[in-house]
Amino acid sequence: MENKEINNQESIMTPDVYKKTFWRTFPLQACFCYERMQNVGFAYMMIPALKKLYKDKKDISEALKRHLVIFNTTPAIVSFIAGAAIAMEEKFKKAKDNGEEVDEESINAVKAALMGPLAGIGDSFFWGTFRIIGAGIGTSLAAKGSILGAILFLLIYNIPHLIVRYFGLKIGYKSGVVFLASMNNGGIVAVLTEVAKILGLIVVGSMCASMVTITTPFVFELNGTKIVLQEIFDGIINGILPLGFTFIIYALLEKGLKSTTLLWGILILGIVLSFLGIL
Amino acid sequence: MSLVQAILLGLLGGIGIWDSRVGGIWMLDRPLVLGPIVGLILGDFKTGIIVGGSLELIMMGVVGIGSATPPDTVSGTILATAFSIVSKLDVSAAVALALPIATLGQLVGIFVRTANGYFVHMADKAAENADFSGIDKALWGGAILFFVSYFLLVFLGAFLGSSAISAFVKMIPQFVTDGLNAASGMLPALGIAILMQLLFDKKNAAFFFIGWAMTSIFSVNTVGAAVVGTAIAYTIYQYTISNKNNNNTIDTMSDDLGGEL
Repeated sequence: MENKEINNQESIMTPDVYKKTFWRTFPLQACFCYERMQNVGFAYMMIPALKKLYKDKKDISEALKRHLVIFNTTPAIVSFIAGAAIAMEEKFKKAKDNGEEVDEESINAVKAALMGPLAGIGDSFFWGTFRIIGAGIGTSLAAKGSILGAILFLLIYNIPHLIVRYFGLKIGYKSGVVFLASMNNGGIVAVLTEVAKILGLIVVGSMCASMVTITTPFVFELNGTKIVLQEIFDGIINGILPLGFTFIIYALLEKGLKSTTLLWGILILGIVLSFLGIL
Repeated sequence: MSLVQAILLGLLGGIGIWDSRVGGIWMLDRPLVLGPIVGLILGDFKTGIIVGGSLELIMMGVVGIGSATPPDTVSGTILATAFSIVSKLDVSAAVALALPIATLGQLVGIFVRTANGYFVHMADKAAENADFSGIDKALWGGAILFFVSYFLLVFLGAFLGSSAISAFVKMIPQFVTDGLNAASGMLPALGIAILMQLLFDKKNAAFFFIGWAMTSIFSVNTVGAAVVGTAIAYTIYQYTISNKNNNNTIDTMSDDLGGEL
């Protein structure tokens, strides 16, 4: 629907504007501040389109102010929201030129409605899946002293990153809000997110087994026979100590303990237990 | 460490922080990538790779999701890797150094993110005057503040700190070093637990154990687990989608997965 309306008239999204906007999606967090987070980055990204769209000083000023409200999302998927916002700006400008009443503030409502769910999807894909698979493979190669680890890590993360960033702008602009709604109705986004989580979890499970190392040198005597504690654990199942420890930490995080507290806690625990001869 | 090397490390600090500020996050700020570059600057590539990989495991859970400012992996990695190369420390000592440095870097990060309020108001003024280039200037003002702050932190740390740090590390008693060694094996559990918070729930819990069992019991490495995981994920995706389509033709009201977002 929206799609046709834009195509029927002359689009402001010329190849030149597209290219400029794409490059301007990168420094989203350059002026990050607690007050309004990525707001300056968002306005910066909108400039090529706004320049093309508005000539009147008052319109420009209002548009810039509109895009300086608080904004925060996963950087890799921001071009999608930029595309949708540009499409809405263009649609409203044309409606206004035709003498229709429009409420431009709804652009910000849509931005706010998109940034949360998209950040959720973006975080589970980019932070939870691509980065984890890359880091899992990368660290195991790095441990052997191979630079291939770092290179594979960068490729595994950045190939999907750049594809999503580049085409996100196109998809966001062409079908904007409609796209998310239709994907959501079909459930494809939900299925993809779920599947990405599954892949991430399998890799994380594997990393738990290969990268957490806890062994105990503790030996005690029972009825005159020496018993090596580690052999008992190994007898149950290989790697039971790292697995158990990981779940204890997970439970503590779920209880609301801060990760920095746990970090220092583990350091102190390591020193104390090693002093006592248990680790 | 020479002055030139300290300057290069400082520049790497600025570039590292710019990855997530100006670059839009390419993961160039991760220990896995910064470690080898520090190694190149200081002439010990291999140690850089190994220390970087170890630090990645420990800092894996340290990510800037949402608006929180996490401990700074950039300064923590660069300085800890540099000190461990210059003073020939072992990996566990590098880990122990990285954490306090990253906490210091976090304070610098909080300072910049607060001070950037100045540039945000500059952008407000530019918007008032319909001044496009004023927005550009505000954005790059913030960017430069990030760069300079992290350049100074890493440069000064590298230039002034290396002799003091190596003297300090030599004073650490043996039992603390042993303890840190033990702790450095335990710390990846924290990174993994933080990731589990993002991924783990009752519905998909079994997949964590599939991955764990593959590696722990059948000795499949992480690459292998990722390949098997991709196959499993692909199969589940295809089945769910075709199931959904079937359900939709029979009962158009069925929308159990779509309700999640």
